[in-house]
Amino acid sequence: MSDPKIEGLELKPGFKGMASDTASDQTMFKGVHWGKAMMWIFLLSDTFVFSCFLIAYMKGRGSTPVEWPNPSEVFALDAFGVPVPLLLIAIMTFVLITSSGTMALAVKYGYEKNRKMCGWLVLATAMGGLTFVGMQAFEWSKLIHEGVRPWENPFGAAQFGSFFFMITGFHGTHVSIGVIFLFIYSYKVFAGHYDTGKRGWFTTMKGDYVEIEILGLYWHFVDLVWVFIFAFFYLW
Amino acid sequence: MHAGFIFLAVIVGSVLFHIFTPWYWTDIASNWGAMDDTITLTFWVGGGVFVAVCLFMVYCVFKFSYKEGRKVEYKPEDKKLEKILTWATTIGVVALLAPGLVVWNQYVNVPKNAIEIDVMAWQWGWQYRLPGKDGKLGNTKIVNINEDNPFGIILEDPNGNDDVLIQSDVINLKTNRPVKILLRSVDVLHNWYVPQFRAKMDAIPGVITYYWFEPNKTGEYEVLCAEYCGVGHYAMRGGVNVQSEEDYEKWLQEQETFSDLIAKQKKLELETEKLAKKINLNIE
Amino acid sequence: MSEEYENNKSSYQAQSSETISGDGASSAPDMDYVRPAEIGEQDLYHGHSFITKWIFCQDAKVIGVQYFLTAVFTGIVGLILSWLMRLQLGFPELAGFMTAEHYYQFVTMHGMIMVVYFLTALFLGGFGNYLIPLMVGARDMVFPYVNMISFWMFFIAVAVLMASFFVPGGPTGSGWTLYPPQAILEGTPGSGAGILLMLISLSLFVIGFTMGGLNYLITVLQARTRGMTLMRMPLTVWGIFTATVLAMLAFPALLVSSIMMTLDKVLGTSFFMPTILKAGEVLEYGGGSPILFQHLFWFFGHPEVYIVALPAFGIVSDLISVHSRKNIFGYRMMVWAIVGIGALSFFVWAHHMYVSGMNPWFGFFFATTTLIIAVPTAMKVYNWILTLWRGNIRMNTVMLWCLGFIVTFVNGGITGIFLGNVTVDVPLSDTYFVIAHFHMVMGIAPLMVIMGAVYHWFPLVAGRMLDEKLGKWHFWITFLGAYSIYFPMHYLGFIGVPRRYFEMYDSPYMTSAVGMNEFISLAAFIVGAAQFILIYNIIKTLKVGKPAGKNPWKANSLEWHTSTVPPEHGNFGDRLPVVHRWAYDYSVPGANDDFIPQTTPPSEVINTEVEKT
Repeated sequence: MSDPKIEGLELKPGFKGMASDTASDQTMFKGVHWGKAMMWIFLLSDTFVFSCFLIAYMKGRGSTPVEWPNPSEVFALDAFGVPVPLLLIAIMTFVLITSSGTMALAVKYGYEKNRKMCGWLVLATAMGGLTFVGMQAFEWSKLIHEGVRPWENPFGAAQFGSFFFMITGFHGTHVSIGVIFLFIYSYKVFAGHYDTGKRGWFTTMKGDYVEIEILGLYWHFVDLVWVFIFAFFYLW
Repeated sequence: MHAGFIFLAVIVGSVLFHIFTPWYWTDIASNWGAMDDTITLTFWVGGGVFVAVCLFMVYCVFKFSYKEGRKVEYKPEDKKLEKILTWATTIGVVALLAPGLVVWNQYVNVPKNAIEIDVMAWQWGWQYRLPGKDGKLGNTKIVNINEDNPFGIILEDPNGNDDVLIQSDVINLKTNRPVKILLRSVDVLHNWYVPQFRAKMDAIPGVITYYWFEPNKTGEYEVLCAEYCGVGHYAMRGGVNVQSEEDYEKWLQEQETFSDLIAKQKKLELETEKLAKKINLNIE
Repeated sequence: MSEEYENNKSSYQAQSSETISGDGASSAPDMDYVRPAEIGEQDLYHGHSFITKWIFCQDAKVIGVQYFLTAVFTGIVGLILSWLMRLQLGFPELAGFMTAEHYYQFVTMHGMIMVVYFLTALFLGGFGNYLIPLMVGARDMVFPYVNMISFWMFFIAVAVLMASFFVPGGPTGSGWTLYPPQAILEGTPGSGAGILLMLISLSLFVIGFTMGGLNYLITVLQARTRGMTLMRMPLTVWGIFTATVLAMLAFPALLVSSIMMTLDKVLGTSFFMPTILKAGEVLEYGGGSPILFQHLFWFFGHPEVYIVALPAFGIVSDLISVHSRKNIFGYRMMVWAIVGIGALSFFVWAHHMYVSGMNPWFGFFFATTTLIIAVPTAMKVYNWILTLWRGNIRMNTVMLWCLGFIVTFVNGGITGIFLGNVTVDVPLSDTYFVIAHFHMVMGIAPLMVIMGAVYHWFPLVAGRMLDEKLGKWHFWITFLGAYSIYFPMHYLGFIGVPRRYFEMYDSPYMTSAVGMNEFISLAAFIVGAAQFILIYNIIKTLKVGKPAGKNPWKANSLEWHTSTVPPEHGNFGDRLPVVHRWAYDYSVPGANDDFIPQTTPPSEVINTEVEKT
């Protein structure tokens, strides 16, 4: 996004600029779209949700009397008869990170008003997310097949299953919601709603490519959270 | 009537109520007089602030009631006054906090000569276990609890054999000897609380928590559960009997140990077996 | 910071001449200069039918009133529950219909309703929605549609909560803290459907609140009118804003603990459930940590106290200032105190857990942080009474509620120092002292503010003045009654009477409490009944009340300077107001009136010695 021009106010960089923006009237974040500011604050709140989950997980893992299962065995996948640890997770993580890349490109083309490219890239991101959710479903069914349940776990502490299903489930819900919105937005991009400024369903505001960026913020956040979940569940 | 008078009456009434109240703490029967002292200190400092602030408010209400055309001061802030008030408050707060922390330090550090007492709680009752001659309590496990082993003592633990089991909600303590209360629960949260001892702590299933006190007055006291534990919470009472050393030792001698209990049960089993054999013989 | 601002100002003063035209004829244009608008006008959806105007309405003011009415409805339910509890405690012989199960269900529902569904919803949903856009000079909340959904989420949450009264087993009776394992085990009333509905309702509340909260925050941050800097906002907005920030960061812990406990209940996971022996059988649970729930709960629960208290602080500051015709003393200190208290409230949660069996060494840390909060809080109290000092105090109903607030809040704040100081807490925790403390400080004190705010802003909402005489009766009965409920109750705590006791039995130190319990119950019945005076007053006023006209209290802040009274959708008519000063220019030396509204340009009050803000 190009630097916003605010009439009657010179924007300064760094801490000084932050202080003068804070002390000024009307807006705190100069030139920032309302929806974008809202998404940032929502993500801050959501960060606390995931932090609570992960802190609960650490506490739960630390205090359980039964031993915690070894992740590289539990999450191993047989590839051509050889168990490869973390194979599926590596692919899942790769897919999700790649989708973040396509999302970032979509935002770029959006601001360039390149309708087609933007639309295809949003759609590609949605497909990436869908693949991720699909692979997660595969992993869940594999674990369930092996006897892991939220309330019991043949490999060790029952809390392993509880936390795994709860936290990846919660994250998966986030991804799924994101995928739904990505599909909706790709439709809106292709239909040209952001070029004509057509009003959306949930807001009286005019459509604008900034909405792609807002959705992008959400999508990158979901990715970032996955990195933490990945580290806490699969590498610890 | 001017509203200020009623506010004044409320403040004066509060102070008088505090001075003449028939409801105040029960006579202390443990070493935690320091807790009462911190309460008294907080009362003096806090009560002083309360009275001062409210009296000042009442003064303002009398002095500056609405009058058309009264000259009102326009002074958005007074840095100096605010600074003085901040520091004065800080000093007051430190004066309250410091003694509190000192006493808490005593509370969490148990004296070496304390007798350990296992207090086991369930919905809704209490029972107690004292260490035997070896002075050590045997380890326990909730899953071991059954009719033959009411405390769930691990049978392999040699410390457990001479433990004194008191399957009653009343326990005896001796005066002037600190006790370390080891709390455990088999189901939900409980709290073993005797108002006269001042001290308390929750019992948590799966964890052993502790606190200590030294009873210093003989007598019988009521134990209350002070953490909500379900519908029988209000009825979950017990008792403490604080006795002189002689009475206590006498009482202790009469109590059953874990090995006594096992022996008794073995005997009972043998007798039943014999009885069964006899009956069988008779039938044959 | 201010220097920076000055520099900015000089850099854009060059282009000022054309932008100020229309701000009224002025002799010194540069003096009245305010930066032009950064963003265009907000598009508003105006309802046409009854449904879009009053039910699924996107006007923050209507949503605020909807929140208010729904919260008051739940509050009345909570009030009736408290009557039933007091009947059992004071006159058990008359409460033969009540079993211990009932009693604990009433305790639980009373607590949860009053804290979350009444006070939180009323302050943030009710006052927040109504006042934020008006006070910062916005047309509406920034996302009106989301705001509407927020209310209906709250409405569903209330409906789910109320539904739990009618399910088999009744509502949960696990105490408002919902501590596991007891909350989801047999032996606690309502441990089946009751607790589930409670958890679902709380989750819905959090989701709904998040939608509303985003609105409040972005409206304050990004949609203020021209000239409205953060340090010119009325303290009401500061209080609600900071409380919303706290809520956005604290409710996640409640959401997470609700989800985890729901899974423990429904799927049989063991997040909070250790090995449990019940009725001689070992349950299927094992390995969980009950303390974890307490940490999560109080990480939400303590900021929650300030979510209720901070809006009250803010509102009462404004009321005191308006009705003593004097600027709030030490505005900047007040703002920093609100923000500081809010920040500190995230580091004190475990002072609710001194005797919970957590590592006792935490006691040192949390006692220290807790007592640090006493300093900014005390500063606020000093500033309130220093605002009264040398003021011109109107002794009307609004002011009476404010004075009542000061007395009860100082009282409750000081008992808070007892409980925050870890050693003093040990004998007092889980006794009636705690009940008395938190009712005084976060029950009665905020309620006093709510009542004061109702009498203050009713003329704005309805265009008519509430009856002063009835208002004074309402105040004195409520204040004296509530004070005589909770002040003596502290002494029950000293005796050692534990809380959440259905029956006291005849312990020697408890028998002395019987008389007091009867007295407290009588006072509670009277105070509860007195609240219906307000309802009568409102109904009467709506019919025959004196028309308020514009700005009946001669206040400065923007909500009194709308195009119509009551304000229409869009609040300010054709042109948004332009703000030139803070909201507290009362009795400025040299001014004609004893108030200068925020919209008055400096050139109109050129001879005054007004403080630069």
